[in-house]
Amino acid sequence: MADVETTNQSILVVGGGMSGITAALEAAEAGYDVVLIEKNPYLGGRVTQLYQYFPKLCPPNCGLEINFRRMRQNPKIRFFTMAEVAGISGQEGDYDVTIKLSPRYVNEKCTCCGKCAEVCEVEIDNPFNYGMDKIKAAYLPHEFAFPMRYVLDPSIAGTDEGKKCFEACEYGAIDLNMEASTFDLKAGAIVWAAGWNPFEAEKVDYYGFGEYPNVITNVMLERMASPSGPTGGKILRPSDQKEAKNIAFIQCAGSRDENYLPYCSGICCLASLKQTTYVREQQPDCDVTIFFIDIRALDRLEDFYTKVQEDEKVTFIKSKIANITEDEETGSLLLEGENTRTGEQILMNFDLVVLATGMVPNQIDIETPPDVTNDEYGFLTNDPEKPGVYGAGCSRRPTDVASSVQDATAAALKAIQSIARR
Amino acid sequence: METMINYDPTFAEEVFQNVDAGEEIKMCMNCGVCAGSCPLRHEMDYPPRQIFSLIRSGKRDEVLNSKSIMLCTSCYTCVVKCPRSIPVMDVMHGLAHYAIKQGILTRKLTASFGGEFWNQVYRLGRVDEKDLPRRVFFSQGLVEGIKSMLGFMDIGIRLMLHRRMKLLPEKKIKGIESMRKMLDKAEKLGKGGTVA
Amino acid sequence: MDKKTALYICTGCGIGDALDIEQLKEEGTEDFTIAEIKDHPFLCGAEGVELIKKDIEEEGINTIIIAACSQRVNYDVFDFGPDKIVDRANLREHVAWSQPAGEEDTQMLAEDILRLSCSRADNTQLPEPYAPEEEFSKDILVVGGGLTGMTAALETAKAGYQAILVEREAQLGGFLARMKQRVTLPYKELTETGAEALVNEVTEHPKIKVYTSATVEKIEGGPGVYSVDIKSNGDAVSERVGAVVQATGWVPYDANKLGHLGYGQLKDVVTNVELEEMAAAGKITRPSDGSEVKNALFIQCAGSRDPEHLPYCSSVCCLVSMKQATYLKEQNPEGASYILYKDVRTVGQSEDFYRKAQEDGNIFIRGEAVNVGEEGGKLFVEADDELLGEKVKVEELDLVVLAVGMVPASKPVTTPRIKAPADTEGADEQGMIEVLPDSGFFANSALNLAYRQGPELPTLKYGFPDSHFICFPYETRRTGVYSAGCVKRPMETAKVIDDAAGAAMKAIQCTELTSEGKAVHPRAGDTSFPEFNMQRCTQCKRCTEECPFGAINEDEKANPLPNPTRCRRCGVCMGACPERIISFKNYSVRMIGQMVKAVHVPEEDEEKPRVICLICENDAYPALDMAGIKRMKWSPYVRFIPLRCLGSMNLVWIADALSRGIDGILLLGCRHGDDYQCHFVKGSELAETRLGKVSETLDRLALESERVKFEEVGITDYERIPKIIDKFMEKLEEVGPNPYKGW
Repeated sequence: MADVETTNQSILVVGGGMSGITAALEAAEAGYDVVLIEKNPYLGGRVTQLYQYFPKLCPPNCGLEINFRRMRQNPKIRFFTMAEVAGISGQEGDYDVTIKLSPRYVNEKCTCCGKCAEVCEVEIDNPFNYGMDKIKAAYLPHEFAFPMRYVLDPSIAGTDEGKKCFEACEYGAIDLNMEASTFDLKAGAIVWAAGWNPFEAEKVDYYGFGEYPNVITNVMLERMASPSGPTGGKILRPSDQKEAKNIAFIQCAGSRDENYLPYCSGICCLASLKQTTYVREQQPDCDVTIFFIDIRALDRLEDFYTKVQEDEKVTFIKSKIANITEDEETGSLLLEGENTRTGEQILMNFDLVVLATGMVPNQIDIETPPDVTNDEYGFLTNDPEKPGVYGAGCSRRPTDVASSVQDATAAALKAIQSIARR
Repeated sequence: METMINYDPTFAEEVFQNVDAGEEIKMCMNCGVCAGSCPLRHEMDYPPRQIFSLIRSGKRDEVLNSKSIMLCTSCYTCVVKCPRSIPVMDVMHGLAHYAIKQGILTRKLTASFGGEFWNQVYRLGRVDEKDLPRRVFFSQGLVEGIKSMLGFMDIGIRLMLHRRMKLLPEKKIKGIESMRKMLDKAEKLGKGGTVA
Repeated sequence: MDKKTALYICTGCGIGDALDIEQLKEEGTEDFTIAEIKDHPFLCGAEGVELIKKDIEEEGINTIIIAACSQRVNYDVFDFGPDKIVDRANLREHVAWSQPAGEEDTQMLAEDILRLSCSRADNTQLPEPYAPEEEFSKDILVVGGGLTGMTAALETAKAGYQAILVEREAQLGGFLARMKQRVTLPYKELTETGAEALVNEVTEHPKIKVYTSATVEKIEGGPGVYSVDIKSNGDAVSERVGAVVQATGWVPYDANKLGHLGYGQLKDVVTNVELEEMAAAGKITRPSDGSEVKNALFIQCAGSRDPEHLPYCSSVCCLVSMKQATYLKEQNPEGASYILYKDVRTVGQSEDFYRKAQEDGNIFIRGEAVNVGEEGGKLFVEADDELLGEKVKVEELDLVVLAVGMVPASKPVTTPRIKAPADTEGADEQGMIEVLPDSGFFANSALNLAYRQGPELPTLKYGFPDSHFICFPYETRRTGVYSAGCVKRPMETAKVIDDAAGAAMKAIQCTELTSEGKAVHPRAGDTSFPEFNMQRCTQCKRCTEECPFGAINEDEKANPLPNPTRCRRCGVCMGACPERIISFKNYSVRMIGQMVKAVHVPEEDEEKPRVICLICENDAYPALDMAGIKRMKWSPYVRFIPLRCLGSMNLVWIADALSRGIDGILLLGCRHGDDYQCHFVKGSELAETRLGKVSETLDRLALESERVKFEEVGITDYERIPKIIDKFMEKLEEVGPNPYKGW
């Protein structure tokens, strides 16, 4: 049971990714009480899984570290991980919220010494690396995890393996009897910053994701490029762990497509351009081909597009690839399509194909949701007639980090206004 | 001087008015997935996307004389994949129909097949597997007709062995009148299929 | 405060196994006065913390040294209130987890780490928040009364704060008031501009004071204590404000430079702005003869995405042309609009409006215009149609619209020139040189800041005063001054509205933090600030020139005039000062100097070299923690001293260290250059520049230049750092021991 004192002057921020962290910090640094809740066992959200940001090619952990530091020294913010909203009632200025906490099986005594992981022999799919590798069932979610505390997978909680971990811990940090619990809090305003999920690429069946091992998604490539990822930072073909000699990026894999996501996901062009630079830096011999409909590099991001275009080993072809087939023997992939500039048929082989999949918003998924408006795609619209709950970041529109942070900063002010109106 | 296409919207307007689903081509964003997925792509002079571009630029002759519009086998692959939900197949059939109406018969055989198919279905409510090819093949003349028929003899025999083709003429289906009403209505609703 | 210091050593997490704790207590502390020295097997547990609390209560301990894990963890557990000094000695990540247990070198390392901590605690005083005599203002000045400015003012007022809005024109509204309609969320149909309602709401709001026909003549002071001179309708007024939002907007790219597209030569070639104004005024007609417009062609990226004109994408023009094609469609449903584009850039949900524009029958041609001309009273456009692969010609056009892009209002038409210091490269005969965008002297007049480093916000390369940081889009080079809207980046109205609210939030937050004497981002909450011992100042101007935030002014005698509320507490001034007169209560040249001296330097014959490694606490320090967590190993001879920013590095430390027999100095700072990662803009770059000047010191001491090295590292470079260290150690071995040992 969490001990948290809140009033209708408090702000609840749902989602501890870049948008949620920002909204929470901006409000707290202006003097408001904030409770931040996050579903994962760590804060940071999707950006923690990125290797670098475009266009600066800098590590997301750098900015996160500053934010965590802001959080550490600010008593106005309280945060809960493994926490989700179970219910919201009331209206602007006076919400009653029920928060559900999932058991971590590790308490605040954890010193992060790693003894539990040392003795644990059970392995699970590593969710942080999109299941591309295994991790011990007693684990630190990732090396920059904040808070820095281990987690036990529920699958071993009631087993002998769990007991082994319990016995290995010198600090009494493992609590196998932990159960899911709920607690209530009050809030005057709610910022909904629950972020996004990658589009499920297997839905586009003609690209063979899930069937052909060497068809991967952009979020997976991001983990591969990261030194803490499943391949130690090497971009390798999943089928044989070999370096690819030519890589294709397929833009709009699901986005701008009325069969899947009719909207443009906003970030995938730049993400692929960025990932092209990862490939080119690691493997100077590797050719990259980017298949696109339109390259959408807004404002000064155009410079980054220009930079990648200057690379002789990178080819841009305006085409929506229509089909992928695999050569079972070599694992290489045959792409079919039309080069719309020349009208010629594309029949090209690649060692690795990266699907630039888009964003699907995480909606308010509770039985009695507050009175908010979503657009037809599930993004919150922040209807001015319905103040009190404010979407921020990718809950509102598919967008990049800087815009999410801007938006979250604005959402913090909206939340403060809701409280000021009381 | 190099060739220069003069954009002329009148043909596009003509297509919108007269071709089934013709207006849908406005939604094309030139991604090329239709062309990329078409099994007959290599036979086509212009892939569907380019047909749409040509319509918008006003290249009437190129479009209506294109054999591409006659080649569609209704496999639906492009329709299923089109990100803008354009019924590419319907447009291609519609264009073929319109071209034929204008007296343009780029692929005569395809056109007569379509016409005979419709006639038979209208007459019998089904297709007569020996009568349809006969009529189609002999539309090219007697010698060509015999040649084509001989070429399909093997298939004909196998069809008979599997009882897919009878020696006697096919009879009308039950309720042929209702069927015809349906077809009449369908023809009225749309701007027409590949009927000669 | 009279310090009573206690040291607590945690023996958990492998520390107790790696070290001889009793020896550590004795050796590590003998140079210092420590009242209590205790160890505990699980210091961060309830019992351990209780032990400390008891000592605080019963023994009057007020300075606590925790020798345990990294300062990045258990920060909350070891928080004993604002009136206590807590120092953390990292014996876990930097010793027990990265060095072999039980070895002499490991033990010596731990002892030095304790000495560093004791020395730091010794030299730390509790900071007292800055409190000026005058009262802090929390009012927000908004410069620019377009959509951004009006929104910023209104959002400020709605949060309960007073806004002061200054608009140059006689009326509020900016470009919004000149528009017919907007295209915005949910991007299905056009939306009314709402300009009139917004202007009324702003004008009537009791918490907004509006000055029209007004300019900001001067902004003096700093956050919380700004005094602003405004000239409104010829009258001079002054206001006191706490923070500023700059929303001075954009100007259209000068179409006169687009003669190749017919502008200026053919009357019916107009810009999108001209078309919008025509539409807003009533009806779009042909400028040449006022006749009806049936067919029109929009040339996208007219000047944008063009290295000859604007290399960037202006973001909004695709949607704007689609909007304007909608006007034409409404006016004449028979007409045709062509949109000649490079890429259609309707991101996010705005893809829906692209669909609508197509459904309306507008014809999109991917390609570039090569010729615009006139034939028989109508216009034609020739273009390379990329998708038809041929040249195309569109004739019978009544109008050609150039979708010109956005230029920030801050960007000067001609780059200003200033007198360059003597023998500057690239200076002309008169000794003048172009001002870089990166300077406060570059931008057009809008704020007139009375700052030594220039009157305006420094900008990025195309003249946008935007943040350089992805994670921190409101990061600003002038504390308390936030830019918003299209002056900052080309953006559509939906984003402008969010950005304006965001900037208002930051401005409000700045006034709140400032009123408590606290720093804003990135050291938000820090109450320390630099104090100047003016008696020893030599007016060298280094501090006033190098402060990344323009916090320090100068009087006419070149004495520095600090503005503590502008300060971001990075310590760059402290690093710059050759006289060492700038100190924070808890961070000073003396403190680090003492720490350097606290390190024990073994005699030469012991063959144990010593290296001082000055590291950025934001990036290099966490990276080292990671290396420790991953149980990587590195040389036990290195002593890390974290700095607020490498820019605060003072050369005297290097001279002191080398003259004491320290064998080498390694600096680990953030990446600099165009894509710099330094959170204090130029800190790491300044450190490297200063290091370039260390040769004098080395020459004086007759030491090898290899003894001092700067390396750029990022927070994720934990694999690299041990290698960098090992390589440096190898180099030192080649160079041999520092001859000054034992002096």
